[in-house]
Amino acid sequence: MAENNVPAPKREIPKSRVMVNQQTAQIYANAWAAKEKGEPVGWSTAIFPQEIAETFGLPVLYPENNAAAISAKHLGDPFIQHAEGEMRYPINICSYARMNIGMADKMSGEKYERVEPAMPVPDFLLLANNSCTQLMKWYENLSRNLGIPIFFVDCLFNYYEEPPAPHKIKYVRSQIENCIKDMETFFGKKFDWDRFLEIQQRSQINRKLFNEIVKLNSRTPAPMNGFDLFNYMSPLVLCRGQESTTAIFEQLKLEVLELIATNTSTFTAKEQHRVHWEGIACWPNLGYNLKMLKSYGVNAVMNGYVTAWDVAYEPGDLDGMAKAYQMSSTNSFSTPSIMAKRAKSIKDYSCDGMLCHVNRSCKMMTFHIFVGHEIIEEQTGVPCANFDGDQSDTRVFSEAQFETRLQALVEIMQHNKEAQND
Amino acid sequence: MLTMGIDIGSTTCKCIIFKDGSEIVGRAIVPLGTGTSGPQQVFQTALSSGGFVREDMERILVTGYGRFSFDEADTQKSEITCHAQGIHYLFPSARTVIDIGGQDIKVLHISGRGMADNFVMNDKCAAGTGRFLDVMAGVLNVRTEDLGSISMEAENEVRISNTCTVFAESEVISKLSANVRLADLVAGIHTSVATRVASLVFRNGVVKDVAMSGGVALNQGIVRALSRELKTDILIHKDCQFAGAIGAALIANQELLRQARDNKK
Repeated sequence: MAENNVPAPKREIPKSRVMVNQQTAQIYANAWAAKEKGEPVGWSTAIFPQEIAETFGLPVLYPENNAAAISAKHLGDPFIQHAEGEMRYPINICSYARMNIGMADKMSGEKYERVEPAMPVPDFLLLANNSCTQLMKWYENLSRNLGIPIFFVDCLFNYYEEPPAPHKIKYVRSQIENCIKDMETFFGKKFDWDRFLEIQQRSQINRKLFNEIVKLNSRTPAPMNGFDLFNYMSPLVLCRGQESTTAIFEQLKLEVLELIATNTSTFTAKEQHRVHWEGIACWPNLGYNLKMLKSYGVNAVMNGYVTAWDVAYEPGDLDGMAKAYQMSSTNSFSTPSIMAKRAKSIKDYSCDGMLCHVNRSCKMMTFHIFVGHEIIEEQTGVPCANFDGDQSDTRVFSEAQFETRLQALVEIMQHNKEAQND
Repeated sequence: MLTMGIDIGSTTCKCIIFKDGSEIVGRAIVPLGTGTSGPQQVFQTALSSGGFVREDMERILVTGYGRFSFDEADTQKSEITCHAQGIHYLFPSARTVIDIGGQDIKVLHISGRGMADNFVMNDKCAAGTGRFLDVMAGVLNVRTEDLGSISMEAENEVRISNTCTVFAESEVISKLSANVRLADLVAGIHTSVATRVASLVFRNGVVKDVAMSGGVALNQGIVRALSRELKTDILIHKDCQFAGAIGAALIANQELLRQARDNKK
């Protein structure tokens, strides 16, 4: 390990993080309480139009978010092994899917031992394939195994660089409307369009607030350790349309502004280099990754993942909402579109390099990296380095490989700086 | 001014001593990797080769897989930077460096000053690395260092379709059972490594001149197959195996010069 590791004083958990933890605990508690009362509980893909479920007042949990939390605690292996073993799922599919499908199957067994945060067995599924096409098969399997319905919004892939054509927007809008009708029938509830407008407005307030906070990290040195952004995505995933999220982000914004005012940072090492992190976090290795980054004075100030929940539209404009959900995750974009966004971000956040997670699970987020290197290097002039890992599967990541590649990237970034100063 | 560079790899340790960053005055190579007595052996042998003691070394820089576990060193650098500097010393015209190590494959683009501009390395698996050749040599009951000369006798090279080391091992065994000639089999193994390495080189772009570093570069069969795949000549220096250690010793020298310059300010 590098020699310049700066021992960090033990910091108090910021109030905003405490609020995030409380919010998450409350969402899970609400789902369990509903289940105990015999009310339907849903599981949803991470970027489904949550405004719909929120308007219906349905308790919903998010398996991708749940898998990330369990992976970060190193508790996911038994579920993955169950999916690969008894259930015969191949190792090549997404590890979130393997973990969740394995968990769902174990839940129905007598010997199931809950792993926190534990989700109750769902009664319905909400599916949007805007971040990944494998989600469809994952949810079809859940639906079939559990005998529960899926409410599906099919979001089209954006093959070319221009915005979606009107007929594509119409296609997604019609599905949102159809989902609402189907859900009215299934839940026996009338959809409240006024409430829907309020939720849309709240969602826009929250995503704008989060954007403002993320942009504050463009300062040099950055007020936040970039990995903090991974932790603060949770309110946007779980409760994008709720006031509790507004309260969290207002508090977080105050805290970040305070860090800026006092010229301090939650990145506890000296920020010598700034990188753009490409891909989902390596949740089981997050601690090691951060330790290494700090030891080399590297702050991953921005990443291409956190903007996925920046679903921007005018409240009341259903076409705009359909378009926004079709364009939220860069996983549904062409490589030139993705890399143009990354290049802009690298410039906006004054990054010296890009560190790319070649995520065995997430083919959608990984395949573009190899050709993307060239685009990034051409458009920004910064070097890129890859490392192997996985969002949940603990068998892929190699500590020695990660450090060697990080160190090489640091040496190139350092040399580039020295050459500029010469 | 004497500086030492040590490259502690996964299978071999290499050491070079430079005088004033221009003349090699000591060297050693030990076929043992990190976690063994290899690092100490190579260190002591290199000192003895030039009649030096530890105190004669003004700076020792270590690189390679075992770079964090050698207490004699003053500092360490990644293999990428050291191989770039080492090859630049051996071949100033080189702009692409291919290093097939024991556990990984590196392809670097280097500047006219010997700095790595960017690099790509193998992902997901270690097929095509030096260890792959060791396993194949073991199956064929020959020495790894003899593979190159054996392949020169090939007449009808066979195709090895598996890149996975374990599956390729089975494939080679089945070809042996079918009485395929040893030389034809070894040539096929080299082509299988070359195609894997070439795809990495193409990913980074072939910028001439192309040079190879590391011990595998001494295998003329691999060099020939890779040259064929890349459609370009490959520069090979007799000291290619020492490239990482040479780079390490040169960087140690540059660091001393920088220190002296800073002290004067």
